[in-house]
Amino acid sequence: MELVIALGLNGIVWGLIIALIALGLSIIFGLLDIINIAHGDFFMVGTVLAWAVFDVTGNYWLAFILVPVIGFGLGAVIEFLVIQPIKNAAALSIVATFGLSVILQEGVRATYGDVPNRLLPPIEGTILLFGIEYEIYRLFAAAASIIAIAGFFGFLHRTKFGTWMRAVRFDPETATAMGIPTRKIYLVTFAVGFAMAALGGVVAAPITTVDFQAGIDILPFCFMAVIIGGLGNLGGTVAAAVLLSFIEGIITSFADPTAARIASLCLMSAVLMFRPHGIFAGSMR
Amino acid sequence: MNVTTINRTGIGAFVLFTLTAPWLLPLFVDAFWVDIYSEILIWSLLAASVNLLFGYVGLLSFGQALYFGLGMYGVAIGVEKFDLGFWPAFGFGVFLATAMAVVTGALAVRLTWHYFAIITVVFSLIFYFMALSWKPVTGGDDGMPFSIPPVFSMGDIEVSFTDPTVQYFFIVITVGLCYALLGRILQSPLGRAFATVRENDLRATLIGLNVYAIRLSAFVIAGFLAGVAGALFAFFGRYASSVYMFYHVSGEAVVWAIIGGIGTLLGPIIGTGLLIILREELSSVWEHYQILVGVIIILTVIFAPKGLGGLWARLVEHVASRSSHGGDVK
Repeated sequence: MELVIALGLNGIVWGLIIALIALGLSIIFGLLDIINIAHGDFFMVGTVLAWAVFDVTGNYWLAFILVPVIGFGLGAVIEFLVIQPIKNAAALSIVATFGLSVILQEGVRATYGDVPNRLLPPIEGTILLFGIEYEIYRLFAAAASIIAIAGFFGFLHRTKFGTWMRAVRFDPETATAMGIPTRKIYLVTFAVGFAMAALGGVVAAPITTVDFQAGIDILPFCFMAVIIGGLGNLGGTVAAAVLLSFIEGIITSFADPTAARIASLCLMSAVLMFRPHGIFAGSMR
Repeated sequence: MNVTTINRTGIGAFVLFTLTAPWLLPLFVDAFWVDIYSEILIWSLLAASVNLLFGYVGLLSFGQALYFGLGMYGVAIGVEKFDLGFWPAFGFGVFLATAMAVVTGALAVRLTWHYFAIITVVFSLIFYFMALSWKPVTGGDDGMPFSIPPVFSMGDIEVSFTDPTVQYFFIVITVGLCYALLGRILQSPLGRAFATVRENDLRATLIGLNVYAIRLSAFVIAGFLAGVAGALFAFFGRYASSVYMFYHVSGEAVVWAIIGGIGTLLGPIIGTGLLIILREELSSVWEHYQILVGVIIILTVIFAPKGLGGLWARLVEHVASRSSHGGDVK
C-alpha cells in the first residue's frame, strides 16, 4: 500500500511537471500549427542548463530564474531562424523540428557530454505524508509547477498580450486585420513554449537524470497529454497530464512500466480516432 | 538534348553502376563500400515508402519504422523460432508488415494532415514498446541474431548470403523489382488516383473516387515496401532489433525522402545515398557530425523543399532549354 501511495504521489508530481511542458507544446501547435518534435529536447536543454547554472554558481535557485530567461531567448532565436522561414511550407514543419531535435541533442552531447548526471535536490529531507516519508523537494516541484501553470493562465487571460495570443489562435487573418502584430505573437508564443519546457527541466532536474537523451522519453508523454486533453483545450491538457501520469504511477506499482505506457498510447489512439477534440470536449473551453 | 534523353542517360548510368559496383567500387575505394551501397539500396526502400505516402498521396507518415521492424522480426523469428527456410522467412516478414499496414492503415487513413502524422507515430511507439518488453520473443533492445539459411540448395550446390556476390545481387534484384513495381503502380490508373487525392481530396470524392480506399491502398503498398526493406536488412545484418522500430528511424526515412526529392521515383535513393555516405565519411572525422545533418535538414526544408530531385529537374530543364535554344539559332 505504501508503494502505491508513493508511486501515485510521484505520478501526480510528474504529471504537473509534464503539464507545464505540454502547455508549451499545445500553444505552439495551436497558434503556429507546428508539430514540435523538438519539444522534449527543449525540456532536456532546461535540465542541462540547470545543471550548468548549479555547476558554475553553486546555487540551484538561480536556475529557476536564469534558465527560463535563456530558454525564452533561445526560443525567440529559433523561431526567427527556423520557424518563420518555413511558415509557408507547413506540411514540412514536422521535418524541420526533427532536424532541430537532432541539432539540440547532438549539440548538448558535444558540449555537456554523454554521461548522465544526477543533481541533489536543493531542499533535502522528507516529510510524513499519508503514512509515508515523502521527499520535500517533490512537493516543492509540484507547487512550483502549479504556480507556473497558474502564471501562464493569468498571462493568457489577464494581459493584453495573452488576449492577442488567444485572438491569433482563434483567427490569425482577422487578428492581423485588427492590427495585432501577428508575427511578434508567433515569436513570443514559440519563445514562451521553450521557456516553459526549460522551466519544467529546472523543476525536474533534481528528481530525474540530466542526460542529452532525456527529451526522447518526455516527448510522447507530452503529446499524449495534449491529444487526450484535447488540442487547443489548455485546461484539458493539464488535467490529462496529471491524470495519465497518476494512472501510470499506480499501474507501475503492480505491473511493468512499459505496460502502463502501452495502455496510455492505446488510449491516445482511441481518442485521436473517436474524440479528436479530447475527452473533455465540451466541458471546458 | 531534351529532358527525357538526359534523364534516360542518368538512369542508364545509374543502372550500369549498380550492376558493376562489386567490381567497380574496389578499384577506387575500400571494398566495404560495396556493403554500404547495398545498405543504401535497402534503406532507400524505406524512404520510398515515405515518399509514396507523402509525395504521391499527401500523407506524411512518421511511423514507417513499424513495418520495417516487423519485416525484420518476421525474418528473424521465422528462422530462429519456427525453423523456416530463406524464402518462407522472407515471405513471413513481408506478410507481417503488410498485414500490420492493413490493420493500422484502416484506422490511420481516416485521419489526415498533422493528425495522420501523430497517429502513425503512436502506432509505431505502441509496438516498439511491446517489442522492447517482450524479451523472450524479440530479444528486446539486445536484438535477436540468427544464422542465415541458404537462398537455394540442391544436392551439393548451395547458394547463400555467405557469398558476398550472391548477397549483393539478391539485394539489387529485390530492390530493383520493388522500384519497377512502384513505377508500374504510379503509371497505372491507381497512381493517377493517388495524385488526384493528393491535389484535392474533395474533388476526388466528387468525381466518384473512393478516397478512403485509395489512401488505404497507398498505405498498404508503403507498408509492403517498408516490410521488404526490413526483411532484406535482417538478412543483410543477420539480426533483428527493436531499435529499428523507434520513431527516430521513421524520422530518418522522412528526412532521406525529403532531401532526395518528394514525389520523384528515384529521389529516395539519392537522398538515402547522400546521407549514408555523409555518415560514413564524417562520423570518423567529426564525432558530432549529426549537427551538420540537422542543419542540412532545416536548410533543405527552407530553401529546397522539393529536395535534390527538384533541383535536378530544374537543372535538366535549364540545360535542355539552353541546348534547344542553341539549335534554334543555328
